[in-house]
Amino acid sequence: MRVHSLESLAALDGKGLRYGVFLAGCGLRCVYCHNPDTWSADAGTDMSPAELLSKIVRYKPYFRTDGGVTFSGGEPLLQADELCKLAELLKTEGIGYAVDTSGAVGLTDSVKRLLCGAQSVICDLKFPDAESFGRYTCGDFALVEGFLAFLSENDIPTWLRTVIVPGINDTEEWMERYAKTAKRLIPNAERYELLGFHTMGFFKYERLGIENPLASVRSLDKERLTELQSYINTLLK
Amino acid sequence: MNEWRDFVSGRWNDTIDVRDFIQKNITPYNGDESFLEGPTERTKRLWDRVQGLMKAEAEAGGVLDVATNRVSSVLTYAPGYINKEDELIYGLQTEKPLCRAVNPFAGFRNAEQACIAYGYDIGDDVRREFSYRTTHNTGVFRAYTATMKKARHAGILTGLPDAYARGRLIGDYRRVALYGMDRLIAQKKADCAEIGIRDMSDENIRLLEDIGRQFEFMADLVKMAQQYGCDITRPAQNAREAVQWLYFAYLGGQKEQNGAANSIGRITSFIDIYIQRDLREGTLDEAGAQELIDDLVIKLRLIRHLRTPEYNDLFAGDPVWVTCSEGGMSEDGRPLLTKSSFRMLNTLRNLGPSAEPNITVLWSQALPDGFKRFCARISIETDSIQYENDDVMRPIYGDDYAIACCVSAMKIGKQMQFFGARCNLAKVLLMALNGGCDEQYGEQIGPEGKVFEEGVPLDFEEVKDALCRYMEWMAKLYVNTMNLIHFMHDKYAYERLIMSLHDSEPERLMAFGISGLSVLADSLSAIKYAKVIPIKGENGLIVDFRTEGEFPKYGNDDDRADDIARWIVERFYSELIKTPAYRNAKHTLSVLTITSNVVYGRKTGNTPDGRRAGEPFAPGANPMHGRDSEGALASLNSVAKLCYDCCRDGISNTFSITPDTLGHDTEDQVGNLTSVIDGYFAQSAQHLNVNVLDREKLVAAMNDPNLYPNLTIRVSGYAVNFNKLSKDKQLEVIARTFHERM
Repeated sequence: MRVHSLESLAALDGKGLRYGVFLAGCGLRCVYCHNPDTWSADAGTDMSPAELLSKIVRYKPYFRTDGGVTFSGGEPLLQADELCKLAELLKTEGIGYAVDTSGAVGLTDSVKRLLCGAQSVICDLKFPDAESFGRYTCGDFALVEGFLAFLSENDIPTWLRTVIVPGINDTEEWMERYAKTAKRLIPNAERYELLGFHTMGFFKYERLGIENPLASVRSLDKERLTELQSYINTLLK
Repeated sequence: MNEWRDFVSGRWNDTIDVRDFIQKNITPYNGDESFLEGPTERTKRLWDRVQGLMKAEAEAGGVLDVATNRVSSVLTYAPGYINKEDELIYGLQTEKPLCRAVNPFAGFRNAEQACIAYGYDIGDDVRREFSYRTTHNTGVFRAYTATMKKARHAGILTGLPDAYARGRLIGDYRRVALYGMDRLIAQKKADCAEIGIRDMSDENIRLLEDIGRQFEFMADLVKMAQQYGCDITRPAQNAREAVQWLYFAYLGGQKEQNGAANSIGRITSFIDIYIQRDLREGTLDEAGAQELIDDLVIKLRLIRHLRTPEYNDLFAGDPVWVTCSEGGMSEDGRPLLTKSSFRMLNTLRNLGPSAEPNITVLWSQALPDGFKRFCARISIETDSIQYENDDVMRPIYGDDYAIACCVSAMKIGKQMQFFGARCNLAKVLLMALNGGCDEQYGEQIGPEGKVFEEGVPLDFEEVKDALCRYMEWMAKLYVNTMNLIHFMHDKYAYERLIMSLHDSEPERLMAFGISGLSVLADSLSAIKYAKVIPIKGENGLIVDFRTEGEFPKYGNDDDRADDIARWIVERFYSELIKTPAYRNAKHTLSVLTITSNVVYGRKTGNTPDGRRAGEPFAPGANPMHGRDSEGALASLNSVAKLCYDCCRDGISNTFSITPDTLGHDTEDQVGNLTSVIDGYFAQSAQHLNVNVLDREKLVAAMNDPNLYPNLTIRVSGYAVNFNKLSKDKQLEVIARTFHERM
């Protein structure tokens, strides 16, 4: 499998302490992406599931019962076949895993198997409807709808996440749209977390020579983020 | 005896055995912090006054006042108070709070320069007295060999206690509270009688003289307490007296000695036994119990010594290391944890964050969760706590040991240490490549050897052989230098009072240290896995390197680099033990730099790992700044591989993480930090300094010290007030790896 990078302490992507495996390759091209270096499926290094396992087991002392591995990216589910193999190996070691995905992927057998075996799924709900999704990403919103419905039907513990970008989706009205979609597709989600857009990934665009469509946008104000977070929390109650 | 009413008796009644007393009488506490009380009005008044004085001290450039006309000793000063009516526990080092004493026994010039640095003149009486006296420093320099002086000058051996007092001792101050001085003096007399029937060898004569000197100071301590209206000839009768007696003993030691890091030991669970009895008898309530601990801590936060600017360069931020060990498990599996352990941590809330006392949690996997979580919470709030692994130390030191200074474990009252600063191993590598010449001064220091060729890639095995030869030479020189220093220290600056609170024949440890571990490990890794080509300067010595290709770096849980780090430590230790140590001491080794990693870096040329000449080393056993690219836990895993068995004086690791990286909210952060510590220590690592803060906060504090006057940060086995660091040390702390998520 193609691994973009590893992070031995990724405490925010799921419960407890987590080992982050960032997989290479993503075709979604979200307008606000802060990891354009993970787009290419050739980025990073090749590693076999066994190789990765040997690294991961070193962190078992930190995981306790709720921690584990988080597959992120890039879009990890593009490599669902290989991840299933790794998931089998993790199971023998008693290590759980979470999946951090855009949800804009087809529900292949591997994807389904992976999701059903996960401790939790973090789904980054980029935009709340087909129109906005199509405008700001290259993905298909229908896939996201199917994906969330699958998580909901199978009662897989799910966190929703959305990046709030100044001038794009930083209004109460947008929160209402997100909340409506969340309620419709996955009323049993455990939490909905908003993340503020930041400019720390800008240097990557420059280094890669890719045009940054949001080059003039500033980071989201922390207080504004808190306001929107409490607003969406009340909407979801 | 009335003082011992209601205590469970045991061996401790008949022999001096504080551990037995604790084992028989402790009330372990498995709950959480909900019982704790805030500061009383009295505590607030007293602490306000002290904070005012501390502010004045900072405004005066770091020293508020110096008692220049007298030589510090137990009885030199009349009793001093902060504000007597508000004090529960009495005693100051001099007659006024924060007024520093002059203590020239370790070195007169040092004391004189320290005075001058802060705009004071040493008094004529003091000057006259010391013109007839030999100090430790004079003794050492009479005997130093030419090579020792050269090694010292070049900065291969730095921070040696040859001009200041060695410190690193922990008197068993609890003995004074439990037994009273009459009983302790009687015990020493009995010891003398026993030693007196032996053959009078050098060692036995020395022992008898040591104890003779201890008697004088034990008598002085009794008089000092009398001046404060207390009779410490008898045991303490209640909690307030127990704290007072114990503190008098510690204070007496501080008046007599200005050694770095004379720590206070493991005291709260001992005190707790008295508090429990008072609570049972209805003479104390929880607010009163907390008040006692708060008052003691206020006193401990006032401890000061007069230091030179050079000393501050090595040990920045005016530390005294009143290290206070908390927690740990008993050998029979009970936690040695009491409500008073919580009360001690609670002082960081009641009085705010602080570098002193240096609160050190002896962490065990088996400690109750309530305590672990409370520690993590206080760490997140204050950055004032360090953690050390009870599960690796208890099997070696038993369950009544404590930490001196940063990471040095010793059995309380039963072991003492000859402190030995550290040796710069990164510089030893450069010396090995340059045939024994110092790369900065060009001076031949070590035995002459081959200078490696310019332009030819270094061969790993060849470099390793050369390094081994120079490590062997260095280790022998190092042990012999230490032997000489401690011979003189015993002769001219013996710690009479502190040693009187040890067994008469303590086990002695000689604590060596290394600095530059990560620089040397990465340099060797570069030579082994990449191509390193030496570049020579005008003097024909190697002054720089061209490194081509990638190489694994220590700090990423990559065995290729980490095995090199392990090897360095094991190899150097095996060399050290070849040379016998003074007074039959046991060799120990630490990987700890305090803040001298900056000074060591300044004195070291370019290294093959790509570090430029003069750049600071990483502190202690930390991976080099910014090279631990696989994140926080990978970095911890690398350090955990260093073997405590050959580093029994400690392996210091400082870990800084931003709060937002550690978890979504405080509850997550507390849980995750607990898991980090558990996971690290489960791998037999020894020490972890924990900082949970944002780099931006440090930058803001550097630019405007008034913004965060009490900003405390763990640096290397101790905590400092960030504003007390010099600019270059502040920059170094800011440059350290902060684990954060983008």
